[in-house]
Amino acid sequence: MDLSDKLDELKTKFDEAVSKCSSLRELADLRVIYLGRKGELTQILRGLAGLSPEEKRNVGQKANTIKIDFEQGLNALAEKIENAETVGKAKKFDVTVPGIEPHAGTVHPITKTMNRMSEIFVSLGFRIADGPEIENEFYNFEALNIPLEHPARDGFDTFYIKGKYLLRSHTSNVQIHVMQTQKPPVQVIMPGRVYRPDAVDASHSFMFHQVEGLMVGKKVSFADLKGVLLAFCQSMFGPDIKIRLRPNYFPFTEPSAEVDISCIICKGKGCRLCSGNGWLEILGAGMVNPKVFEAVGYDPEEYTGFAFGMGVERITLLLYGIDDIRLFYENDIRFLKQFR
Amino acid sequence: MKLSYNWLKDYVNVKASPEELARILTMSGSKVEGIAKVGDDHVLELEITANRPDCLNIIGLARELSAVLGEELKLPEQNIGKSMPDDKNSVRIECIVEAPELCPQYTARIITGVKVKKSSAKIAARIMALGMREINNVADITNYCLHELGQPMHAFDLDKIKGGKIIVREARDGEKIVTIDGVERELKKGMLVIADVERPVAIAGIMGGIDTEVSEKTKNVLLESAYFNLLSIRRTGRKLVLSTDASYRYERGVDRGMIIPASERAAAMIMGEAGGNVGGFYNVGDCRSKKMSIDFDPNKINTTLGIDIDKKEVKGILVRLGMEVSDKTDGRFTVGVPSFREDIKLRVDLMEEIARIYGYENIPARIPEISPAVIRKEKPRQVKEKITEVLVSLGMNEIMTYSLVNESVVKRFAAISVSPVTLMNPLSEDQRVMTPHLLDGMLKSISWNINRGTCDLRFFEIGKKYSVIEDARQYREIPALCVGFTGFIRNNWAEGKRAVTFFDVKGVIEALFASLRLVPKFKQSLVEGILAPSAVISVDGEDVGFIGEVTGKVLKDYGVEQPVFVSEIKLDRLYEKASLMDMYKALSKFPFSSRDMSILCDKTVTAADMYDVILVAGTELVKDIRLVDVYEGDKIPSGKKSLTYSVTYGLDNRTLNDAEVESMHARIKSALSEKLGVTFR
Repeated sequence: MDLSDKLDELKTKFDEAVSKCSSLRELADLRVIYLGRKGELTQILRGLAGLSPEEKRNVGQKANTIKIDFEQGLNALAEKIENAETVGKAKKFDVTVPGIEPHAGTVHPITKTMNRMSEIFVSLGFRIADGPEIENEFYNFEALNIPLEHPARDGFDTFYIKGKYLLRSHTSNVQIHVMQTQKPPVQVIMPGRVYRPDAVDASHSFMFHQVEGLMVGKKVSFADLKGVLLAFCQSMFGPDIKIRLRPNYFPFTEPSAEVDISCIICKGKGCRLCSGNGWLEILGAGMVNPKVFEAVGYDPEEYTGFAFGMGVERITLLLYGIDDIRLFYENDIRFLKQFR
Repeated sequence: MKLSYNWLKDYVNVKASPEELARILTMSGSKVEGIAKVGDDHVLELEITANRPDCLNIIGLARELSAVLGEELKLPEQNIGKSMPDDKNSVRIECIVEAPELCPQYTARIITGVKVKKSSAKIAARIMALGMREINNVADITNYCLHELGQPMHAFDLDKIKGGKIIVREARDGEKIVTIDGVERELKKGMLVIADVERPVAIAGIMGGIDTEVSEKTKNVLLESAYFNLLSIRRTGRKLVLSTDASYRYERGVDRGMIIPASERAAAMIMGEAGGNVGGFYNVGDCRSKKMSIDFDPNKINTTLGIDIDKKEVKGILVRLGMEVSDKTDGRFTVGVPSFREDIKLRVDLMEEIARIYGYENIPARIPEISPAVIRKEKPRQVKEKITEVLVSLGMNEIMTYSLVNESVVKRFAAISVSPVTLMNPLSEDQRVMTPHLLDGMLKSISWNINRGTCDLRFFEIGKKYSVIEDARQYREIPALCVGFTGFIRNNWAEGKRAVTFFDVKGVIEALFASLRLVPKFKQSLVEGILAPSAVISVDGEDVGFIGEVTGKVLKDYGVEQPVFVSEIKLDRLYEKASLMDMYKALSKFPFSSRDMSILCDKTVTAADMYDVILVAGTELVKDIRLVDVYEGDKIPSGKKSLTYSVTYGLDNRTLNDAEVESMHARIKSALSEKLGVTFR
């Protein structure tokens, strides 16, 4: 058998071995057997020494080709085996094991609603102002044209501290502070915490939040008030929302209005949420009463303005379909985590 | 206020269905809360605002509708305004008003020879449709007229009035009266009563006495129609906790022009129902005030309301509402306000009348010209929003707690509760004081959740702490942040369980301050009885808050049995000191190298001591120091601890070579052993 035949035989043997090889360890052995320094190919090539130059060249070329074949064959096999092993492992990998839960922080729903309201009003040109919760009679009542011992005060039961101090029963006190320190034009919203002696139940709380708004200028009209409220309600509750203003009475505005939005659930057809009438009462508003302007030293002949106020808890209850106001202050993590 | 649909039709032509009528009334300011079908009638339940006592009767509402619908108002044909004779030959009494400031006008009319029995079917039906009890044909008429005209009246059995005198006076302290509801009531000075020579026979404007009530035996009636001081009625009603249809109207203000006409209408109706003859009429005082007249420029309506309405229409609305409108040469109106509309005092009040009747729904909506650019959010709000954003991104849940707490909270947290603000009229003991810090709310929320099965919590609240400077009568509301951690911070199959430590809360505070470009310093300090271990946190040498582990004694009060770590930060100073500017710092182009050092030192050596030495010795070459391992235990001598620091060295303008790094590392080591006596392992 000449060298060339031996090479053919080796190739056949190699192909057979490769076809049987299924692990990287076996493959390492094959590499030693066929390509190693003491491997079979090397052995055969040692026989080249006794050949004529022409035979040497021919067999040498053949041997080189076979060597390259072996290398490529083994590399391809290695890739194939590695692949198979990765796939095998991956197939056994249990992707259904629960993920490692990251700590998900949440903003309190009341903060969320207040921030959303603030953003809307800021985009409509309003500035945000704060004011004190512990207040005196002047800012909470007198300057707002709410006389002492008047039936108008029935809706404003109040916690008292000492003397003429009290916990503000609405954020309207901030209107007075703002107007005392700023000349018109004024365009401001005043979010904050307010207090009224209401026993706690599913729909009442002795503490809650309001967002108050005020705009004063030389030509501010009732139509402007309607425009701002419509823009706000549509941004807050959806572009299809309709608003309805009804005459009402507030001592600090004249004319005054109670503002309803079309029911966010039934869109005005009538459902349980809106007690069947298609409308939800959400805020009070009106043109600033000249007596309020007088109390802060604005000339009511020169300026007009509008004001509005709304309850943040009420709007949050409506927005998320929450049915108990106490949930806001229990801070049950199962509740808080829903507001991601 | 209840309104009968059928009865209403006596005074105004209404074609609208009850439902449509309800909508019209609601949209013009008399809110209809519900409609009930009563027999062949519909009764509307209305909520009338405090400024509109004139709408607390059927004619008042008919007037409203006449203005909205443009229909004529039909007043009762007979009797109103027709004066009745004062028969001086009939039974005489004496009528004395001793307290004219509380009773500006009092009228008494005598009707003799009445036959008291059940009311006629029509009167009875109307009374009962409005939910009132049928009594007798005299009492029912006073109720009928109250609902028709809005004037409360009271009928006494004349023969039960002792001494022939009606005296309107203040009650004497401790004086008693049994009112027609059968309740004995003790009166106090300042309350107004109607009395005879012996005793009070009625609490003025609120409720009559049972002794002088008209019954089937009554032959002669004394019919009272009066005007009482609003505040007096309100105060008395509040003190006695008694509100009636009469007092509800008196305290809001009845029509000063209706005192006598109402008496005439009622007397005529009583005679129609019960027979009899009018006798003497007594009228003490005159409550009528000068007619209010307002100079009104109808041109201003369009600019203030943003509508386009002409003068003629304006005039028509005002006239139908009962105003007298006369034109002035300059195009303005002089508007005479009727006695039943005392709420109208200013031009804007007339403006509202126009807006109401024109219809708010007919006023267009437009976006106003926005005021010139101003800072819309000031720094405190921006910082507050940033704090919320950072804490939420660090995986914390925002809570919100009541700012009114039980007084015991002040005692429990005495060390941090200075001069709390106390309410004079709390609803309950649990809401007596304004919270002097945020810890109580935090611990209540943690306790609430642990009791419901969630024990791993990371909460924060941004609220206020309240206090008073007693002498100066100054109330302080300090914005504050409270952070509370408890339970496991890691608890999963891959990492196992790791309980929250002091350093988790500290890490949050450090990260928060870093985001505000502030460097907090922590100094060990006990918060007496509340926190241990604990530290005060300062910025630029100023205390801004504290951090620590809540003591078991406090936790016990909340029923919490696992460690809780808290921190409270005063935000007012932080709002000032924080910087919201994010400045870019160039990245070094040259690689830094790190070296570890394992230190064995006394337990008394603090981390801060070591940092100080490393930073001083290391100059600007030290870019970062990280504590990577702490060991205290059997493998090292007692009283010692083993610490491993990883120190990063570098320069911004070139790469440090190994020799430079090694030499600096050695320098720091020798400084540490020299200054703090540490050894290296």
